[in-house]
Amino acid sequence: MELLGVFTNIEQAATAVEQLVRAGCPEETITSVTSVPYPPGVLIRGQRRGWFHRLTVGGALLGAAGGFALAAGTAWIYPVQTGDKPIIALFPTGIIAYEGMMLCALLGTMAGMLLEMGLPDLRRRARDPEIADGLIGIAVTLADETRRRTVEQTLLAAGALRIRTDEAP
Amino acid sequence: MSTPAEPHRDGAAANAAMLSSTGPATWRWYLLALLLGTVVTGGLTAFSYQVMTGMVVTGINRPVMWGIYIVNFVFWVGLSHSGTMVSAILRLSQANWRRPILRGAEAMTVFSIMVGGLFPLIHLGRNWVFYYIIPYPSQYGLWPNFRSPLLWDMMAITTYIIGSSLFLYLGLLPDLAVARDRAAGWRRLALAMLALGWRGTAQQWQTFGRASTVMACLIIPVAVSVHSIVAWDFAVTLVPGWHSTIFPPYFVIGAITSGVAAVITLMIIIRKAFHLEAFLTPLHFDNLAKLLLIVTALWSYFYFAEVFTTWYGHQPIEWEVFSFSAGHYPLLLMIMLLGNSVVPLTCLLWRRVRRSIPALLIISLLVNVAMFIERFLIVVPSLSHKNVPFLWGSYRPSWVELTVMAAAFCGFALLYMLFAKFFPIMAITDVREEHEALRGETVRGRTRLSTLIDEE
Amino acid sequence: MSRQARLYQWGMVIDLDRCTGCGACVVACQAENNVALVDKQRFAEGRNMHWLRIERYWEGEFPHVRARFLPMLCQHCGDAPCEPVCPVYASYHNAEGLNGQVYNRCVGTRYCGNNCPYAVRVFNFLNPDWPEPLPDQLNPDVTVRSRGVMEKCTFCIQRIRRGKETAKNERRLVRDGEIQPACAQTCPPGAIVFGNLADPDSHVARLARSPRRFRLFEDLGTDPSVIYLKGGGHEHAG
Repeated sequence: MELLGVFTNIEQAATAVEQLVRAGCPEETITSVTSVPYPPGVLIRGQRRGWFHRLTVGGALLGAAGGFALAAGTAWIYPVQTGDKPIIALFPTGIIAYEGMMLCALLGTMAGMLLEMGLPDLRRRARDPEIADGLIGIAVTLADETRRRTVEQTLLAAGALRIRTDEAP
Repeated sequence: MSTPAEPHRDGAAANAAMLSSTGPATWRWYLLALLLGTVVTGGLTAFSYQVMTGMVVTGINRPVMWGIYIVNFVFWVGLSHSGTMVSAILRLSQANWRRPILRGAEAMTVFSIMVGGLFPLIHLGRNWVFYYIIPYPSQYGLWPNFRSPLLWDMMAITTYIIGSSLFLYLGLLPDLAVARDRAAGWRRLALAMLALGWRGTAQQWQTFGRASTVMACLIIPVAVSVHSIVAWDFAVTLVPGWHSTIFPPYFVIGAITSGVAAVITLMIIIRKAFHLEAFLTPLHFDNLAKLLLIVTALWSYFYFAEVFTTWYGHQPIEWEVFSFSAGHYPLLLMIMLLGNSVVPLTCLLWRRVRRSIPALLIISLLVNVAMFIERFLIVVPSLSHKNVPFLWGSYRPSWVELTVMAAAFCGFALLYMLFAKFFPIMAITDVREEHEALRGETVRGRTRLSTLIDEE
Repeated sequence: MSRQARLYQWGMVIDLDRCTGCGACVVACQAENNVALVDKQRFAEGRNMHWLRIERYWEGEFPHVRARFLPMLCQHCGDAPCEPVCPVYASYHNAEGLNGQVYNRCVGTRYCGNNCPYAVRVFNFLNPDWPEPLPDQLNPDVTVRSRGVMEKCTFCIQRIRRGKETAKNERRLVRDGEIQPACAQTCPPGAIVFGNLADPDSHVARLARSPRRFRLFEDLGTDPSVIYLKGGGHEHAG
């Protein structure tokens, strides 16, 4: 289950995170929910590295190979002579391979980004509509009910306006 | 920026102001939509008439086999360079004044490349078999000819349409979530689906930031390649006046010129229409105008380099094209030089002009009129006076071509209007991120300074 | 491919010294190849469909004016600029040096027409229409092209095909002079000679070695198969 404490103030939210960590919540289970990005470390320490750019590189390689196969391969398998030129066109093949590379790199980046973010996310989540207006949420994922009271008290003590959960109302 | 006590009240007000365009449509909105829709319908009718009758209804002839349709193609593809240049380059250079401009410029990219991509299909003699150009396995045992620049065009424009749409969508994602949380009814459902369940967790924001940078890095070389390829449509031919190595960079600079000018025009309209004076300040226009000043200077340099080389070499065939162009279209040539070079280079030097909205509106429109003429003067005179003097001709667009062209402009405006009605036209989270950052202050000596260096 | 030994390499020699500018070739071409007719107004608009035209240039000042005639048709370039720019291979090179045009494949980008320095490619702006009784004289060997496609001189490929078939049935090669395009057949002074350039003894090959030979826009590197013999001036009259 997930608990979401809503704060008006960034300092309060940051205090809440510190108190939660001190109370024994692993930092991986805590995250901030905001409508505006804050630099890593303001609320939650940033992750070291993402992995989506591997899909960018993978897409680029695949796209370049695909573009090459499309331009050079089809000309080679279905040759038609034009203007005393060789069947396989060197520079145009490069252009098509380049465009294929860029297309698949863009698609790969986008797919990788969504996968890394865990989107699309269709699960029911603890949410608060006012976060869109600038309130700051601190969400804690709990494995079971045992620590629920501690977490709720810590959040409220730090100045949370209210606490939302992902349970059905 | 003011620093009210309760940040979320400020945030709510900013959200409301920036989402005002998505409010209920007024009768004026419907009237404008009707008007634009009528012109688009007129264009579709004219195009149908052309398909049913043949290319004889256009002004195309031998030797001028390409006319205003191709001029439009180059022009619209040029316009589409606004989004990538303003948005991606400024994103990478972390210029904070980009923030309110991003969305409008990115949306413009997507719609203008869509409109531009239609023109090569409109201009085909047999539009109904356009799919012969698409590479797909068929029983003909024949694939398209990748040696043809038109195939490069097709690949590049497909890449650019997909890439710029993804780029637009990427920037839109957090804003969709904001709009979702403030919407109701079917809009909420549609926005919720498009937002894919975005929450704005720390991890999501971090990945989002990295992906934005990567996408910006990827989209810039695509944009450059797109207009280089459009230039190669002309440069790789044997046509005197077209066959020039300077064309790709010249076209790219021209594209950025018209793109930046169009962004200024659109921002002025958006600012006025949606009452966003608080977000789009004279400072933003000042910066955009500086950008325009630089690119028009570059354009002038390229133009001079091209004409100067040809004039000095004075090869009879090439010089014939240039002198025909000057002799037959002196007015157009003059407007082009004034609009692309003289007026922006002199007027935009002055800070007062750069910060005057009416002056910028006139200058930015003039630049784009001049850019359209520039494309015309590249396409048409070269074809009019090719190698064989016996078959020299000229070209005048017919009413069918002009109607289709008017429909393209109105269709673009209509798409833009609809986009603004359903999606956030301002980069909400980007703008508010800056507001938040400005709130962070530090005491230094006897004063309090913003942690963010400056808006400029 | 072009440098391989070929049996046939079709070419044409046009002797400008013999050309009188009568225009019989233009009419013959129009009749043979079902070239569409256009009216006066369309002609003025630049929608005429001639595959072969006589270009007339004036030289000198009155009263010492001379007319120079230049029959202009598809040059069947060895390295044709029209071919690589076609996105759908409607314009391609055939093994006998002909510059082919596949009407059914053409989508009408007109790119080939722009890139042809000789401006000999014509576009079907309209569906062709022949007033009665002209449809009765259409050549059954030649496709009638629909609107929206490019077309141009084929060196009367239907006659080349027929000649080769006849020769094949008789188990021999095509004889010199056996195949004549309509223009060459009609030319009253015999200015146009067509034949196989791959055969060094053919009439066309012997004429092509003339010191008067030149090709149009040779500097563009298009390697045309049409060779002109200089003429029409005073320089070798006396």
